[in-house]
Amino acid sequence: MLPKIEYSCPQTLEELFEILEKYKEQAKVLAGGTDLLVSLRDRIEKARHIVDIKKIKELEKLEYREGEGLVIGATVTLRKILESRVVKERYPVLWEAVRTIGDMILKNRATLVGNICNASPAADSAPALLILEAKVRILSREGFREVPIENFFTGVKKTILKPWEIVKEVFVPEPPRNHFGRYLKMMRVMSEDLSVVGVAGLGYREGGDVKIRLAYSSVAPTPLRIREAEEAFLKPGTIEEKIERAVQIAAEKVSPISDVRGSAEYRLHLVKVLTRRLLKQIVEVV
Amino acid sequence: MKYVGKSIQRIDAFEKVTGSAEYAGDIELPGMLYTKLLLSPYAHAKIKSIDFSDALKVPGVITIAIGEDFPFRIGLYVNDRNILARKKVRWVGEPVAAVVAENLEAAEEAIELIKVDYEPLPPVLDVRDALKPDAPLVHEELGEYAHSPAFNPIPGTNIANRFVVKKGNVEEGFKKSDVIVENEFLMPQVSHVPMEPHTCIGQYMKDGSIKIWTSAQSPFAIRYILGYSLGVPLHKISVYVPYVGGGFGGKAGINFEPLVVLLSKKAGYRPVKLELTREEQFMVAPVRQGFYGKIKTGVTRDGKIMAEKILYVFDAGAYADYGVNIGRAAGYSCTGPYYVPNLEGESLTVYTNHPWGTAFRGFGHFEFLWAIERQMEIVAAEIGMDPIEFRLKNALLPGLTTPTGEKLREDAGRIDQCIKAVAEKIGWGTPPVKITPNKIRAKGIAALWKAPAMPPNAASSAIIKLNEDGTFLLSVGVTEIGQGTVTALAQIVAEELSVPVEKIKVVPFRHTDLTPYSWQTVASRNLFMEGRAVIRAARDVKEQILEVASQVLRVPKDDLEIEDEKVYVKGRPEWSLQLKDIAAGYVYPNGNTIGGPIIGRGYYVGSRLTYLDPETGQGYPALKWTFGAQAVEIELDTETGEIKILKLVSAFDVGKAINPMLVEGQIVGGCVQSISLGMWEEYKYDKNGRMINPNLTDYKIARAGDIPEEHIVVIIENPQKDGPYGARGVGELSMLSVPPAIANAIFHATGVNINNLPLSFENIWKALKEKR
Amino acid sequence: MEKKKIIFKINGVEKTVEVEPNKTLLWLIREVLKLKGTKKACERGDCGLCTVLLNGEPVKSCLVLAVEVDGSEIVTVEGLSRDGELTPIQKAFIEHGALQCGFCTPAFVIVGHWLLNRNPNPSREEVVEALNGVLCRCTGYRPIIEAILDVAKKRK
Repeated sequence: MLPKIEYSCPQTLEELFEILEKYKEQAKVLAGGTDLLVSLRDRIEKARHIVDIKKIKELEKLEYREGEGLVIGATVTLRKILESRVVKERYPVLWEAVRTIGDMILKNRATLVGNICNASPAADSAPALLILEAKVRILSREGFREVPIENFFTGVKKTILKPWEIVKEVFVPEPPRNHFGRYLKMMRVMSEDLSVVGVAGLGYREGGDVKIRLAYSSVAPTPLRIREAEEAFLKPGTIEEKIERAVQIAAEKVSPISDVRGSAEYRLHLVKVLTRRLLKQIVEVV
Repeated sequence: MKYVGKSIQRIDAFEKVTGSAEYAGDIELPGMLYTKLLLSPYAHAKIKSIDFSDALKVPGVITIAIGEDFPFRIGLYVNDRNILARKKVRWVGEPVAAVVAENLEAAEEAIELIKVDYEPLPPVLDVRDALKPDAPLVHEELGEYAHSPAFNPIPGTNIANRFVVKKGNVEEGFKKSDVIVENEFLMPQVSHVPMEPHTCIGQYMKDGSIKIWTSAQSPFAIRYILGYSLGVPLHKISVYVPYVGGGFGGKAGINFEPLVVLLSKKAGYRPVKLELTREEQFMVAPVRQGFYGKIKTGVTRDGKIMAEKILYVFDAGAYADYGVNIGRAAGYSCTGPYYVPNLEGESLTVYTNHPWGTAFRGFGHFEFLWAIERQMEIVAAEIGMDPIEFRLKNALLPGLTTPTGEKLREDAGRIDQCIKAVAEKIGWGTPPVKITPNKIRAKGIAALWKAPAMPPNAASSAIIKLNEDGTFLLSVGVTEIGQGTVTALAQIVAEELSVPVEKIKVVPFRHTDLTPYSWQTVASRNLFMEGRAVIRAARDVKEQILEVASQVLRVPKDDLEIEDEKVYVKGRPEWSLQLKDIAAGYVYPNGNTIGGPIIGRGYYVGSRLTYLDPETGQGYPALKWTFGAQAVEIELDTETGEIKILKLVSAFDVGKAINPMLVEGQIVGGCVQSISLGMWEEYKYDKNGRMINPNLTDYKIARAGDIPEEHIVVIIENPQKDGPYGARGVGELSMLSVPPAIANAIFHATGVNINNLPLSFENIWKALKEKR
Repeated sequence: MEKKKIIFKINGVEKTVEVEPNKTLLWLIREVLKLKGTKKACERGDCGLCTVLLNGEPVKSCLVLAVEVDGSEIVTVEGLSRDGELTPIQKAFIEHGALQCGFCTPAFVIVGHWLLNRNPNPSREEVVEALNGVLCRCTGYRPIIEAILDVAKKRK
């Protein structure tokens, strides 16, 4: 059973911050609850004051503005994101990544902001957001700050978020024009699983060059963008050489562990295979 | 036939689709208390002391029990199990103490406050290590345990049972062989993962009687063992079983029922409920035993098996009560469905400090068929023979002898027809195809057989009552665990008595006070055995009906016919009686009454079954053999090890499909379970023997998206003359031999032999990498 | 722990209940309202057997706090068929043998209803995707998939 907890359900941001400041480390934000309730039950989450943010109107935004980008509010469910045509058409890599999180029923509750705040190394939305160069918009009574998602994760299940802060929304800027992006996820089964390794990649043309971006799940303590591999790809050479260079550097930069879903050795191998497959698709399309 | 052989709807379907079917967890009793278990964190350790004084202070806690409170041993075949751990713990997860409280929260809170002082002992975590002479002993007192005479524990070792089978002369056989092939095979422990975790409620009554409500397959086995262990006469024990939310063997024996009963006594005779959480289901409840096999096969160039030397070792875990029979069953079927003239087989059930093992659908066979069907493929390749041809050449056909020297009966069913059927439907004979540089499609095949693993005196019985309105009530001891046997039994009653199935109710629960005896709901035995008992009960009913009707209609009994709820004179249908008019005695217009309530009864035991010779294993263990074969076409990604099953073909000689929809349902469902076990499932342990994946996030089982793209089911019907309408059992059989078919396909695709389960993507990748 | 008062509708009936914040919707349904058709089998969102409709959408009720459903509408398996008349999905499950032990059946029935309400003509892939959230150990899923597809086909 769940531990003894208190529960509040503020209607406004003002009320919310009052509660967060009062309870500090003891407070934990509840949106979809699909991660939080499990951590509470397993006694991993120690906070005992649960603050439900689903009634706060300002957090419900799912909005796209041409030329600016996409805003995904803290309480926007994965299901809403999947049903958004704009996300599917403009941010296909994000759409594809969201599609692989949990199952259809969980997606009715689980939120994208929850997925990143939970900060699992296996968070599937994170690699997509990393290569889309998303910004995390953080709010507290003291004010507002916007942080590149690359700086958001600090370790396994750890972020820069202070106990009195919340992620109000994630902002995803316009991706590069005519980009092609995909999320390749290796699972232990075909149906539904956490990732053994996940790779998000996108490519686009700038000048005469094909530029790429690459980010990974389940290969390091945090979701990881590997800019060195992206840069290595840019250096002159045949397409095959460029791909192999990126693959090798990606393999050097990851630090996978062995766990119940796969060995470090297998993960390292998959990083190479999936990166190579993804880059081949990218250069074919772009 | 009007009812037998028809795909009628399940008789329990309405209750199940509306959510009104009752399961043990749904039962609430007045004054009911809840219990929570404290589990051992050590695989092997002495219990030095237990302090639960703080735990007792938690408001709502009624009592706390530890092992010494219950000095009873229980066990199905070997009495090796404590109610709660005593003196030492034998696996990570063994219950050490139980808190009984007014509510679950209080019990959980109290559990955290119990302090146990352990002295760790060296654990045995590999079944092969357990056999070494210097291995730590899991049960020092093995020699003191009572056990069934059919089993041979070896005191001073970890061997809970040694089964030996000897036939012909193995040395001679190997001498006559051109090629000798030897291989080793492994299978990890896996869980039944019944959707309904183990749940039971026990109440000790002040008059010394005992009531149990439980999600169990075999209420009579529970009653018997409990009575034996506690010294309570059977008429004082009542076991009630509602619908069971999946058992697959995991609920076949006796599990937590003695615990809740004894806790009830300690808690002042109030009912006590235990519901395992999913994590506990993995860690505390029994599992499928792990397996190690070593097979040496001698074969001639033209493909005749001349000799086989076989060693099977089952990882029984901490307790072997049911597990000894698993080793025995694998032992007497050890060759698979092939004729082996010279054989030496040894099958050991061995204690380790793993969770304890029990029956699991097709027990012994799922494990050893993995080994045998891989071995057959490897041997065929060694002599350059097509694996289908090789199997057919050695097929165990009627008239040939099994490992125990049983001459297979003429109507035993045909393995050759099963093999040919799947070969044809999978399109055998085409080479592997490369779809892309790293994707190959290939086919694989494997065969199977099994007989019910049961004592020779395992019995079944049935009662049929004619109600006052002409409807019928059938009562049988086989539990409804999803397999649908009771629907088929209703069809048999309908056929025998010529009455629509809608007018027959099968009592939906089992209650040992009311229900006729059945040994157990296991072994794919119940359609066959309850089926025969039901036919006899129906004929008894018929006889009683005719007895009264012949007096009323004033014709001899043999001139009467029962049809469409009437009994009438042959050739004179206008001279008839409604069944309802004689259901409780026939009343003449003046009030005179003859006859009385009609209650039919029937029983069945296997004919001429024997104990097996302790030295040679020779004898008659099998009520019936069911044969089958599986074939797959897979697509393998050689870079990542991923496989997809494009097509699966299953063929079984079921004798007669009483209800084809239910037979197909068993086969389709069993095969998916088989794929799931074979490809993904595995108890993973840390170095101290602690399971690291005890939940359904980390222990994956098949979901809707994991099933084969296509599955063709072939039902072959060579009737067995003593089966009900010719039927044989198939429930367990459906989950046999899919993993070796997959591994054989991988072999054909790549030339790589994988002999260890599971066939996870990573394990396949590793095997392919090692070859490169 | 202070109890909270919540008001909600379940299977069309309004209820007012006082509940502790650490209790889940599943607990509310089974232990307070005594609706036993919704099953408990993992309590961590893996198996989906506790799936119910919350404001028309399926949720795993073990991952929803009871206090969260204040003001909501819940439908459990008991609320699908009225007066003993089975729904087309329930009938199709029976015809296709899409159940064995029956423990997961209420959840699959709920998901089937939701899916066809939202997408009356799903592809096989869409059905599979919707069902991936619920586990079954008996049927091998095929008859369940076929039952749902059959209802869609007959409606056309």
